[in-house]
Amino acid sequence: MAAVSARQHHAFRILMGRHMQRAIRVAQRIVRDPGEADDIGQEAFLRVWSHAASFDPDIARFTTWLYRIVLNLAFDRKPRRPLVPIDEAAGVRSDDPEPVERVIADEQRRILEQALAGLSERQRGAIALFHMEGLSGVDAAQAMNLSVKAFESLLGRARAALKENVQKIQDTGRCA
Amino acid sequence: MTLEQFRQLAETWGGDIDRWPAASQDAARDMAAGERAGRILDEQLRLDRLFSLAPKVDEGRAGRAGFAVLQRMADVDRKPRWFRSVLRPSSLLPASSLVCSALVGLWLAGALPYRHGPADALSVVSMVFDSSIIFAGGLQ
Repeated sequence: MAAVSARQHHAFRILMGRHMQRAIRVAQRIVRDPGEADDIGQEAFLRVWSHAASFDPDIARFTTWLYRIVLNLAFDRKPRRPLVPIDEAAGVRSDDPEPVERVIADEQRRILEQALAGLSERQRGAIALFHMEGLSGVDAAQAMNLSVKAFESLLGRARAALKENVQKIQDTGRCA
Repeated sequence: MTLEQFRQLAETWGGDIDRWPAASQDAARDMAAGERAGRILDEQLRLDRLFSLAPKVDEGRAGRAGFAVLQRMADVDRKPRWFRSVLRPSSLLPASSLVCSALVGLWLAGALPYRHGPADALSVVSMVFDSSIIFAGGLQ
C-alpha cells in the first residue's frame, strides 16, 4: 500500500489482483446485480488510487478500508436499472465436482438469494462482512462505521430476518 | 449465563463460540457442554453455513474489472486538465492582447494631463461656435 501511495502503477495492479474479487463479491451481495457490483468494484479501486495517501495503516487494515469504500458506494448508489429476477440472479455456476453436491449448493444459493432480497442493504452488508467474509465483529463494525454494539444489533436483526425468510421459502417456495 | 442469554448470543453471533464477544466465551463454552445448548449451537451452525455462501466471482471477471480501472486511469491521464488547455499559446493570444490594451490605457491615463475646461458662459458659446463650424463646413 505504501508503494501505491507512491503512485506506483505496478503495485496498484498487484493490489487489484489480490482484492478485486473481494470488492465485487461484497458489492454483489448488497446490490444483488452483477453489473452494478462490477461498477462498484471499479469505482472502489479508483478511489483507492486517488485517496491512497490518506490511508493510515495504524488506524485500519487495508481490507477494512476497502470494505468501507465498497459499502459506502453500494449504500449511496442509485440503481440504474431494474434488478434481474431473483431466480436468474441465483443461477450461479459452482465449481464443485460432484453433481449432486452442486445441485444442493445451487439450490442453497437460490434460497439464500431469495431470502436476502427481503433484507435491507445494511442488513445484507452485515451478513456479507461477518459470515461471507469472515470478519470479526469489531472489524465488521469498523468497516460499517458503527459501534460494536450497533453492529451486534444490526447483525442480530439481519440473522433473525434471514432465518425467517429462509424458513418461509422452504415451506412455501416464496419469501413473502 | 442463562440458557436464554446463551440462545440470544448464538442467534446474534452464530454457532461458533470463538466468534462471540470475548467476555462471554468462557461461560458459553461451559454451557455448550449441555444438550440443549449444544442443539442451539448446531442449529445456528447450520444457518452459518448457509449465510456464508458467496456469489461466484471468477478471476476472469475480476481481471476484466481491473483492466477497466486501468483504462479509466489512463483516460484521466490523457485528458488535458482545464488549466493546461487555457495555458496553450493559441489560447493566450486574445487574453494577452486584452491585458496589453488595458496596460496601454492605464499608462496613457497616467501620462496625459487631465484638465477640466472652463465652465464660464464664454466657453460655452465658443464650444457651440466651434461645433457649428465643424458640422457646417466640415473639419478644416
